Amino acid sequence: MRWTLKNNFPFRHIIWVKKQDVVEMNTGKNNLVRTLESVDFLKMDRRTFLKAVGAVGATAFLGTYKTEIVSALKFAETKIIWLHGAECTGCSESVLNGGNPDIVQAISKLNVNLAYHETLLAQQGIFVDGKLANTSELNSEILIDELIEEGNYILVVEGAIANGPDGSGRYCVIGNRTFKEIFAKAAKHANAILAVGTCAAYGGINCADSAVAKVTDYRGVAFTKEDSSKGMLQELNLKKPVINIPGCPAHPDWILLTVGAVILGKIRIPDDLDAVLDLYGRPKVFFPTDHTVHENCPRRGFYDRGEFDEQIGGDKCLWKLGCKAPYSHADCAIRRWNGSVSMCTQAGSPCIACVEPGFPDAARPLYVEAEDKGVLLGANIDTLSKVAVGAATVAAGVHAIRRMRGE
Amino acid sequence: MVNVTVDPLTRIEGHLRLSTEVNSDGIITDAQSSCLMFRGFERILQNQDPRDAALLVQRICGVCPTSHSLAAAGALDQLFGVAESVPKDALVARNINQALNTIASHATHIYVLWGPDLANPAYRDVLTPLGETGSAVWKELLGRFAPISYKLDGVPVPVGSSYLAAIPEKKRLQEAIAVIGGKMPHQVTSYPGGYTYKPTIADIGKLSSYYLQVMDFVSKYTLRVSFEDWIENTYKASSPQKAVSFVLEHLQGLVDKTAGSNNFTREVGWGDAEFYAAFGSELVGETLLGLPASLKHDRNGGYSDPSKIAFLAYGAFYKPENGDGYDPNSPAGDRFQTSGIVTGNLEYQNFDASKITESVAHSFFEDSGDLHPSKGETFPVTSPEEISYEGGSDSRYSWSKAPRYGGVPCEVGPLARLLAMKEPLVTGLALAFAENGYSAANTYTRMMARIQETAIIANELLKWVTVDYDPNGKIAVHTDLSMAKDSQGMGLWEAPRGALGHWVSTDSNSKVISYQPVVPSTWNLSPRDSAGVPGPLEQALIGSKISAAENALGVDYANPVNILHIGRSYDPCSACAVHTIDLTGKNTPRTLRIV
Repeated sequence: MRWTLKNNFPFRHIIWVKKQDVVEMNTGKNNLVRTLESVDFLKMDRRTFLKAVGAVGATAFLGTYKTEIVSALKFAETKIIWLHGAECTGCSESVLNGGNPDIVQAISKLNVNLAYHETLLAQQGIFVDGKLANTSELNSEILIDELIEEGNYILVVEGAIANGPDGSGRYCVIGNRTFKEIFAKAAKHANAILAVGTCAAYGGINCADSAVAKVTDYRGVAFTKEDSSKGMLQELNLKKPVINIPGCPAHPDWILLTVGAVILGKIRIPDDLDAVLDLYGRPKVFFPTDHTVHENCPRRGFYDRGEFDEQIGGDKCLWKLGCKAPYSHADCAIRRWNGSVSMCTQAGSPCIACVEPGFPDAARPLYVEAEDKGVLLGANIDTLSKVAVGAATVAAGVHAIRRMRGE
Repeated sequence: MVNVTVDPLTRIEGHLRLSTEVNSDGIITDAQSSCLMFRGFERILQNQDPRDAALLVQRICGVCPTSHSLAAAGALDQLFGVAESVPKDALVARNINQALNTIASHATHIYVLWGPDLANPAYRDVLTPLGETGSAVWKELLGRFAPISYKLDGVPVPVGSSYLAAIPEKKRLQEAIAVIGGKMPHQVTSYPGGYTYKPTIADIGKLSSYYLQVMDFVSKYTLRVSFEDWIENTYKASSPQKAVSFVLEHLQGLVDKTAGSNNFTREVGWGDAEFYAAFGSELVGETLLGLPASLKHDRNGGYSDPSKIAFLAYGAFYKPENGDGYDPNSPAGDRFQTSGIVTGNLEYQNFDASKITESVAHSFFEDSGDLHPSKGETFPVTSPEEISYEGGSDSRYSWSKAPRYGGVPCEVGPLARLLAMKEPLVTGLALAFAENGYSAANTYTRMMARIQETAIIANELLKWVTVDYDPNGKIAVHTDLSMAKDSQGMGLWEAPRGALGHWVSTDSNSKVISYQPVVPSTWNLSPRDSAGVPGPLEQALIGSKISAAENALGVDYANPVNILHIGRSYDPCSACAVHTIDLTGKNTPRTLRIV
């Protein structure tokens, strides 16, 4: 047994841990169950990896990241341009919460050059008498143009893209250019696009039904809601490989593990995308077609026993409080959030299906029981059948329990 | 006259443009603050179940989602008629959630969003010619605050030590919120009548552990004097003068001990807060402590006319000693941070929500006169040509409206809150600046208030977690949708960046007729009003010098470092400051707005 001194955190604590198990304390990661369930998918060869992500549901598949292994390898620099459209910066906040890997590991060990990120970069746009001033070391508008012209980068998009009013895109203007124009230029020269968060993937909250949605005309990168003909790429007649990583916000593991898999060549773009993505462009390993949040919900035992909360603040199944976990294709219930400390249903709040293309409309009203939601979530025929089956199962289960209790 | 425009102002939430006219002395003579995005987000709750609000409104802002959620929960408490009976322990749980969010947001602002400007090469050019002291100060600025992917003259600069160490703390604070809030961003536990999750004894243990770890960071990086001494002698000082004297004596001790050797490192006692407290201000650093140089942040970002500015707070954090329930009107003194208005001459007045009006004279909306938010009309432009940001101060140039209190623009945020609650240190600093010919509010006091507020809330947080919260207490009262028929609610609260209010009304089916958040950045970033009076940020820019340390090396239009400092000192969140549109004109009472 080899032991090592771990003291690279800005704290007084000096923690002795096993070398192969170097983990942060007090974050829930030093957890036997989690360790046992973990599969180091970045370590797998590509064939096994593809098989795993194609065949294994999230129930048996977590995917962790061993920095020792990765740091032994050398990578060419991968440049990332991260653009912000109509968004709340929640996905950027979320990626800073990454722990498996964390953002600093991802950047340093995978040799990622986060070349442009509006919330983090030192630069800003500077114009003197209408002309760009200074250099790319201080001026973000010069920087972004230089980076795009150099090409050879992965484009990350956070937030939806305004097409309105009248196709002009002027409802979102940055540095005197519409975001639509900036996106078009950056997309054109990108090797691949990651649409991070439900807004970038499907439009999200910006596309919720309202009297103004048609006027603002917000679009996702390759989809608008469930419609793959209404993405901004299609609007611009551009074809690019896109990976959608929805969620409101997207889980940092989903983002960073996807980036890691691409950099390590585990997912080859575009060759492997058909195999690893579902019909809505999501990596199946995190958003399994045949698995929902409900299956591993920490409150699942109460559902099975037919015990339901009807007021908030309890600890039983949240189905009657409107939980949409049976319709939500994500591994939240296994992976959990923020260092695996909790998740929505664990904290007594119904799942709102924020990873689904129809969010939020398909999940509303959020606190109302949704036995007939199957037809609303997932318009695609193929997933519709699965969702409908899931819904029927849930409904039958609930009804069966009611019958059992003579209700 | 030279036009200097910063667009986008990065390291903020959302997209903001600051356009200025600068004279040959490098002084800003005119400024426009433009919010650049219109989401139409606000309409989505209309005709919907009001309970959805506390979850969905968080998507306004991923940096301060808890604040939006709790303002919504407040509005819903009143809408459902249960504000007076929300259990004490639910109120404490809300406090804990908000306190963690505020601390995380402030820490992110200080270290990740604002701090990198201290490593601007302009300070190298100003400081290094000043000999060993100047070089030592520059070394600290760069070594502590340089952001990721930073280069100077083509040479990559290592990430600053404070910046790097702060990122895991931010993550830790988010994790703490997740323990009692499910996940973060967009925690899930706010609900009318209480809180969806009852934190356990184990959770209290975890929160205490997180707290201690974060305080380890604070004692190592931020504040090298003992935290207890600091709180005791500043926040709990018997007078503003005593609080300021304590800080000056502490800093003088550090200067006496280390200035001879030009050693300004953390190891000898210069925490980031102490370092900025001394070197950020001309009055404190140069005049009072006798330092050879300072960043002179107290000379910019101030207000020249006290009659055209006030400081506004709605109040936040329920007092556990008041037991169950609370007053939705947030009367003076009712909350840990009180509501109130402090005038430009630093006189406190009680807050009266009926005095708020909004103007759209310079916003991308049709003008129907200055109206109270509850009567506001919002008819935006829909032709692309009308959305232009280059028409100058007389034009329409922002998606933000211009809210006013009794006709006066108001700054909101940590400085306003601490002035309203008469916090000794910040009040003392404001008075000292005013008495010495400076604006009481300036970039320096704004940042010092944010630092001090972080300390005060951290101090109170521990009490809420370990003393006030009872894991065996009640966490929610009964509600059902029928209780929200034909009703109205107002949620007054404080986001990290300032006063936040949500207003909701419902019809006979308990469906939402209107839902109106009025957010802090609309106050701070507002454009001119119908009388042509600029908003707070615009006023703070006008009259300031654009280049480092009061144009110490002349005017550098291409590196307007003070525009960056002033803009970012408000911790802007322009995604919040956008509006709905109502094309029909028939739905005026149903207009939903994020102001």
